Amino acid sequence: MSASRRIAITGAGAVCGAGLGVDAIWDAVVSGRSAIKEISSWDASRWPVRLAAEVTGVDNRMLVEDRKLHKLITRTDLFGLYAAGAAIQRSGIAAHRETLATEAVPQFNDRSGVFVGSGGGNYRSNYDFFPLLTAAGGDLQKFGRELGENVNPMWLLKILPNNVVCHVGIRHSFKGTNACITNQCVGGALAVAEAAEALRASEADRAVVVGHDTPFEPETVFHYHRLGLMSPDTLRPFDRERRGTVFGEGAAAVMLETLEDAQARRATILGEFLGSGCTTEAAGILDLRPDGDGLSRAIEIALADAGLSAAAVGMIVAHGNGTRASDASEVQALRRVFGDNPPPVTGFKWVFGHLIAASGLLDFVLTLNALRQGIVPGIPTLNSPDPEFGSFPVSRAPQRSRSDIALVLCRGFGGMNVALVVRADAAPAGQ
Amino acid sequence: MSTRRRVAITGIGMVTPVGNDTATTWANLIAGRSGAAPIAWFDARGFATRIGAEVKNFNVESSIADRKLLKFASRSHRFALAAGEEALRDAGIRPEPSTCQRWGFSVGAGMMGVAFNELETVHAHCVRDGEFNPDGLLSPEFPADPVAFCRSQTNAGLALLTRHFGTQGYATAVHTACASGGQAIGTALKVMRRGLVDFMLVGGYDSMLNPLGLSAFCLLGALSTDNDTPQRASRPFDATRNGFLLGEGAGFLVLEEWNAARKRGAHIYAELAGDGNSLSSYRITDSHPSGDGPIQSTQQALADAGLTPEGVDYVNAHGTSTLMNDRSECAALRAVMGGHIERVSVSSTKSCMGHLIAAAGAVEAGVCALAIRDGIAPVSANLVQPDPDCNVNIVRGESRRMRIRAALSNSLGFGGSNSSLAFRRPEDVPNT
Repeated sequence: MSASRRIAITGAGAVCGAGLGVDAIWDAVVSGRSAIKEISSWDASRWPVRLAAEVTGVDNRMLVEDRKLHKLITRTDLFGLYAAGAAIQRSGIAAHRETLATEAVPQFNDRSGVFVGSGGGNYRSNYDFFPLLTAAGGDLQKFGRELGENVNPMWLLKILPNNVVCHVGIRHSFKGTNACITNQCVGGALAVAEAAEALRASEADRAVVVGHDTPFEPETVFHYHRLGLMSPDTLRPFDRERRGTVFGEGAAAVMLETLEDAQARRATILGEFLGSGCTTEAAGILDLRPDGDGLSRAIEIALADAGLSAAAVGMIVAHGNGTRASDASEVQALRRVFGDNPPPVTGFKWVFGHLIAASGLLDFVLTLNALRQGIVPGIPTLNSPDPEFGSFPVSRAPQRSRSDIALVLCRGFGGMNVALVVRADAAPAGQ
Repeated sequence: MSTRRRVAITGIGMVTPVGNDTATTWANLIAGRSGAAPIAWFDARGFATRIGAEVKNFNVESSIADRKLLKFASRSHRFALAAGEEALRDAGIRPEPSTCQRWGFSVGAGMMGVAFNELETVHAHCVRDGEFNPDGLLSPEFPADPVAFCRSQTNAGLALLTRHFGTQGYATAVHTACASGGQAIGTALKVMRRGLVDFMLVGGYDSMLNPLGLSAFCLLGALSTDNDTPQRASRPFDATRNGFLLGEGAGFLVLEEWNAARKRGAHIYAELAGDGNSLSSYRITDSHPSGDGPIQSTQQALADAGLTPEGVDYVNAHGTSTLMNDRSECAALRAVMGGHIERVSVSSTKSCMGHLIAAAGAVEAGVCALAIRDGIAPVSANLVQPDPDCNVNIVRGESRRMRIRAALSNSLGFGGSNSSLAFRRPEDVPNT
């Protein structure tokens, strides 16, 4: 750990229901403006769940200018490409590359990685086969014969879960080590951890990290609802009356570089990645341990990786998805690590819903803003904290961070848990 | 670097089109027997390609007794459960309550979560006059299936596997199309080196041999249409090659920290010595004809393993039998191996197994470990008329008995992700 390279965050980008761009989203967070509203992408008026945080008023050209791409990839990929482009732009790395000698550029590109947490396959992609199913009328031979007339020949390439890796690579000439993590909710957070480790181990010198997802589509909402995971009104993390989660959509991205490189080119440093932990509770797809065992272990691993004690953590951005079981076990996990005196805790999903594969990375990006300002934003939908949790430091009002170090938590299906530790690098870091 | 942990492969499990376990698969690969046949799993007679390499007579219950768990398992999840079980049995070690937090899991998972009949059900209830009406899902007649929903999640296989085997450390699922299995193993190597875990189950599983998966590749024209000669359809490096043969299956390895494996007297197949990972950033389906992309992943794998081209004896190529892949891959091998290219034996076992997509790299990593153990480079079957653009030393005609000090395995995916893995013979591992 001591010998490994330090990792700076030099760019960030995001799009979600709360806005296009990190600043717009942060403004919604601090002004208490939730983007959760009636679903407009399909007629949900007869549905038991009618709410989501959709990205509206953003046309595809605002996301990706190249119109040719719009038909070749899906909505989630466009979000991912937008966020990646914004993070790369903000970092100034592409402009820096232009200052390099021509012969140094291929090496620079080979040392530039792409790490993505992808929502992966979804239901809607398969609906492209509905006209063919109608035409075939249950006759599989006819289905095979009339395939070419009914389905886009490039269908597979349009729906590849790793499309963002591919197109970020092509558009930005990044050709280094890469990953597309399809580990449901924790994909984006795990992508941050893997990218940082690749930099620490000198497998790359910089990497763009993206999380993207568009989970709310009728079939997913339908099944989540039947499993009792969806809130019929709003998302109230840690509240006595919390009734479930609400979906959002979008993407977030960060640019990671070695601190040494970032300082050498005088880049603006948004924060420093300090450590990560990943565990599973191995309880199955939906089950969660009530004692928060997997999450507390992930936190302990992340703190050890960062070389920090629990007392160093100034604020916690919780997963806080608003479901009964997840929030309760998350509190248990935090009690196990932080005892009776956890630092201020908040969560952001009340603003833009649960972005599944993008959720951890969007939280990570906003945490950088929070740390820079020392503010732990309040949770306006929190009416009355669950008394079961005792005195637990969540609040409607903003709180102050105890230090410039934050813990970001992300959990998902399969009993997966990821913890990230990050520091605001406001002060010039030298040693 | 000098204190870096070394990683041993101590267990192998396979479910493939040429065998439902490792021994059978390996024997058939050595003999050059093809697993291809007309597709039997569903009626494929209307498709341009009607052949595939299916897993045959597979009975998951013979190795997995947990019926409730199996309800949540798709076809490819079942392959994975059986292969994982075999790998652990082979290694002679399992996660125990006292060690489970030191066991990690890394999988290359197939991309298809929804079964064809499930799509047909939604179509039947929600599509009227060509329009999709989501309200159909709410009708009392719609047979909502929460188990199918669980199966469809991107990490459903990983969730089942960690639950069944009880590993509680690091766990990840990745998907970079045809590079998935290789990248999952590369990730596992890194996680082991970081010291996060002491043991890992790592592998890949996939089955796209269903109407949707077959459609996807037929639409792209990526599959061989040699429907009358299925066993000859996959002929990597042959001038007459015309596409790949779609396979299915799973491959798993048990990884252990080298010294601990030695200490407990485990049988070590090979060292998982190096990982190379690059992005071609050229076209979504191809790498540059020069081999740019695969060149970097191969070079990295060698450097990571502390190897030079001189030390490599065998390459298990990605070798899909498509026009572009084989050409670009051979160009990359020539560029990396330089003057050693004539000496290095190259084969594509996809000539027999077909292309296992997300599982390919994992099964082929197992093949490299077996090749090292037995000193046999398995044959690249069906090579009759070598393509001058694939001018490398291909294992032609029959498998070669030879000393294999180090082997490489390539997996190059749609989307441009390239994975190269390096394996070293235990005898050649310096004493530590």
